[in-house]
This record gives sequence, structure tokens and C-alpha cells, in this order.
Amino acid sequence: MSIPKILIYGFFVTAVLLIGYFVENYYYLQVLTFIGINTLLALGLNMLMGYAGQISLGHGAFYGIGAYTTAILTVNYQFSPWLSLPCAILLAVTVAFLVGLPTLKLSGYYLGMGTLGFGMIAFIIFREWTSLTGGASGFVGIPSLEAGFISFSSARNYFFLVWAVVLINLIVCGRMIQSRMGRALRAIHDSEKAAMAVGINTMHLKLQIFVFSAAVGALAGFLYAHYISFISPGTFDFLASVRMVTMVVIGGMASIWGALLGAALLTLLPEWLHAFADFEMIVYGLIMMIVMILLPRGLTRGLLDLYEKAGEGTGKGHDN
Amino acid sequence: MITDSAEPEYSPLLKTAAVSKSFGGLKALSDISFEVPKGIVQGLIGPNGAGKTTLFNVITGAYLPDSGSISFLGKEIRGKKLHQIVKMGIARTFQNVELFESMTVIENVMVGCHVRTRSGFWGAVSRIPKVLREEKMIRDRAEELLAFVGLEKESGKKSSDLPFGWQRLLEIARALASDPLLLLLDEPAAGLNAVETRQLGELLGKIRDLGITLVLVEHDMSLTMKISDNILVLDRGCILARGTPREIQSDEAVMSAYLGKSK
Ligand SMILES: Nc1ncnc2c1ncn2[C@@H]1O[C@H](COP(=O)(O)OP(=O)(O)OP(=O)(O)O)[C@@H](O)[C@H]1O
Ligand SMILES: [Mg+2]
Repeated sequence: MSIPKILIYGFFVTAVLLIGYFVENYYYLQVLTFIGINTLLALGLNMLMGYAGQISLGHGAFYGIGAYTTAILTVNYQFSPWLSLPCAILLAVTVAFLVGLPTLKLSGYYLGMGTLGFGMIAFIIFREWTSLTGGASGFVGIPSLEAGFISFSSARNYFFLVWAVVLINLIVCGRMIQSRMGRALRAIHDSEKAAMAVGINTMHLKLQIFVFSAAVGALAGFLYAHYISFISPGTFDFLASVRMVTMVVIGGMASIWGALLGAALLTLLPEWLHAFADFEMIVYGLIMMIVMILLPRGLTRGLLDLYEKAGEGTGKGHDN
Repeated sequence: MITDSAEPEYSPLLKTAAVSKSFGGLKALSDISFEVPKGIVQGLIGPNGAGKTTLFNVITGAYLPDSGSISFLGKEIRGKKLHQIVKMGIARTFQNVELFESMTVIENVMVGCHVRTRSGFWGAVSRIPKVLREEKMIRDRAEELLAFVGLEKESGKKSSDLPFGWQRLLEIARALASDPLLLLLDEPAAGLNAVETRQLGELLGKIRDLGITLVLVEHDMSLTMKISDNILVLDRGCILARGTPREIQSDEAVMSAYLGKSK
């Protein structure tokens, strides 16, 4: 009934290889790389929103923590980026734990509120702690990545690097979902009451997933910083957090491939609609409303449902 | 108590002492004290709103009682978290079936094994042999339980696609997956037809034969009377009567309060 996983991954890898090999245009490669980075952001958040049923309105902060930590450590303290990466992730994980623990203890949408506030505080720190972060004018001179004789300063190599990381994350998330932990997560999503009654420590699990999504956000921030070598607070503001939530909603919560679709759409949209730059927030709001009303399970699921309906309409029976 | 000296000191599996729970001004449970010995089927009946479900919620740790104590296996469990209580060996089903609807039938039972298994994030990602072995064990156990309740042919279906009667059976299989010593069943026959109710009765007998102690909340009197060793009658949060099915059936207070038959 469903397509074998190996085929899906095979198709994905082939597509990445072909695109990376044949696309010459620097601008296209850059956009495609950003799609990859945004996919990472959406993937992490998708686990939290789609599976654990919690929302984070401050995920831009973890993205920023990843970017600023590696910027500061590599430029000011001459760390190797491969050493600053675990530091960045560790910091994001610690902060997520501290933000998540008290807010997840309360049921309901306290995590949403807690992360909203936390995102704002983080943004203010990025902007105002000028001596450390470069303030509003940003942080320049972040070195590009190198691994042995491979230099990732070329746009093509970076494209491959980012998409390799995306692939790994897709596999990680896919494995997570098909595990004891993933089943418990999906159980919480379906009925928290029953999940607790079968003995799932729901708070603990939600906290784990929140921390995981923060770590993936920091990883994306790391890749972003070493790619464009210049970061400024605006990239990690509230709008960035809203953009991530929109990606997840459009892609269809609780679908790892949906995250890719949502990320692609929201990366391309601003490129196509420069005129809307000032109204970005309104556009996202409208998109979310439309998706929620017409396709409440997201674009991916919605399209699949339509497809299945069409199949039934033409008399194709489905045997379960 | 002193009749049989060979018997080890009697201690009930579950014991509540003066448990009370109010919602605002409403006393849903007042001073409930009762014991459930190991291995029996304890019936729990009473009119709507008597507090039966609330009693389950209090025992499983879903609600904290206002006062009183609850002990299981001789240990105080009042104030413990739900997952700790499940791990100690208390499982339950819900009056309004609460399945994981987007998951398959077998996955629902697999989730039920949660407290008896360990692997977490790193296990999921690494898929080392130990984790794969555990995964297989979970799947085998779930299949075994599905066969036990007679749903082995449905294992790949989405749980919400099952007919209602089978959803109830699935919920029982899921509860059994935590290897409980005590199983609390909240109106398992509600919504079942006569044939399904009879089959449920047989299943409950099989569960009892496994050595699992049952507390059965049920409005279906013939089922309750037939299978219960002991019955506790609640009314408006208080214990109205207790005794064997025969005693309960001939109890006038029960007859008038619960069965609505005025003399
Ligand atoms: N969470 C709650 N908040 C407020 N009141 C509640 C809550 N749970 C139960 N009650 C009230 O407590 C009383 C006992 O309810 P309970 O559900 O335990 O009854 P029951 O014996 O299970 O009844 P039924 O046979 O209808 O299931 C009822 O009056 C009910 O309205
Ligand atoms: Mg009830």
C-alpha cells in the first residue's frame, strides 16, 4: 500500500545529486541551500507540533543560539567550527531544558507563551549585547567550513553538505516515529488522557522532544552562519519563529516530508513576492488560515486525501 | 482471621481508606473505604453520577483525592504519578473508549507495553540489536494479546475503523499489555449487543484465570452478577451496600436506590 521507504530515500538522494550536479546558477544553488536549512528548522519543530502537540513561538531563538554561538566561538576564540558545533547544540539544549521544564509542567499552551517570551528576550540579547554579538549591525567574518581537503566555501559543496544533513535528520526523525518513543509521542497526540493511562510520562516526553527540536534548530543556525558568514539579529526575530510555525502548518503537521514541502514553499514565496515584503506577517497569517480551513491536516495530507477520494470516486476500491 | 493459621498474613491487593473527592461543592466520593483481595472480580455498581468513574480516576492517580489513603500491594500510592502507578501494576479502560485513533490496532497495544520496556531516543536512532530485540518483543507480545481478545486479524487496521465492540476489546488488550495485577474496567459492556456482551463475559473470565484481579464497573446487571465475586454499591458518593451478588440482589436499599424499584 505505501511506497517502500528505501525507494523514497533513493529518490530523494538521486534528486539532490542531480540538482547539485546540474544546477550551475549560483542564485539557484543558494535558494536550494536555504530550502535545506529551513527544512531542518521545520523538521525539528514538526516533531514538537505535529507529534507532541505543543507549539513553540520562539524557535527563532534556538536558530539564533546556534548561529551566534558558532560565530562567537570561531571568530573571537578561534574554535574549530567542528568544536563549536557541539558547543552550540549543548547551549541550545540546556536553554531549551530550562525554558521547557517549568512551562511543560503546566498543561495547555504554556510552552507557546513561555517560548514566545523567551524568543523575544533572546532577540533583545542578540541585538543589544553589542560587545558580544555585534548588535544590530551584525556579526561579520564567520569562517566557512572545511573538512580535510574538502572546502565548503563553494556553493555547490555547501548545498551537498546541507542536504546531507537534511537526509540524516529525515532518517533520524523517521526512525524516531517508528519506535517506542515515537509511538508514545503519537499516542499523546491522539489522546493525552489515554497516553497517561498507559503509563507514558507525557511531560518528560514533551520535554525531550522540545529539547530535540531546539538542538535541530541550533544545527540549522550553525549551517546558516557558516554559509553566509554574516549574521544579524533580524534573522532570528519573532517573524522567523512565525515563519517556522507556518512551514510546519503548511507542510502538514506530523509528516516529515511535509516539513520539506512547507520549507520549500516558504523559502520560495518571499523570493517570488518581493512586493509583499512589508506584509510578510499578514501573508503568513492568511496562508495559515486558508490551510487550516481548507486542508486542516496540511497541504501534503490534504492533497493525498483528495487523491484518495478521487480514487474512490472512480470506483477503485481500497482494501485495507 | 484466626481460622487458618497456615495462610500468610492477609493483605488486600488494593485498599482505600476514607477516600474523599469533591468537585466544587459536589461530593463525588465521601469516605470510601473498601478492599479488593487478590484474584477476585470486584463488581462496582451504582446509578449515574454515583462516583464510580471518579473512584477509578482517584485510584489510578488521575485525580488526587482530597483526603484518605490508597494502598496497593501494601504501599501507599496516593500522590504518585499515573505512570508510576501503571508501572506498579494498575491498568484501566475508559467508559468512553479512548483509543489512539490515528494508530493501527497493533500499535495501540504496542503503546500499552510502554511501562515494561525501556528504549528511548538514542535507541530509536541507533537501532542497535538490543533495541531491535525489544521492538520485536513488543510486537510479539502485542500480537499475542490481540489473539487473546480475538482481534489478531485486525492488527493492521486503523483503530478508529474497528466496529465499536471491537474497540472495547482493543482497549482491554492495550490495558493488558502493561502486565497489570489489577485491571479497572469502566463499563466494558456499554454499547455492546447481547452476543458481544456474552463474549466479553467469557473474556473477563479468561483474564481472571490469568490471575489478574478485576474491578468491574458495569450497568449490565446480569453480567455483573454472574462474574463478580463481590459487589460494592455506590450512591451519590457513598457506599450503599457491599456483599456477594446474591446478597446485593436481595438488598432492599439497593433495589430502591439503584434499580429504581420502589417497594
Ligand atoms: N472532572 C470533574 N469535574 C467536575 N465534576 C465531576 C468531574 N468528574 C466527575 N464529576 C461529577 O462527579 C459525580 C460523579 O461522577 P462519576 O463520573 O464518577 O459518576 P459515575 O458513577 O461514573 O456515573 P456514570 O454511571 O454516569 O458513569 C458526578 O456528579 C459528576 O458530574
Ligand atoms: Mg462513569
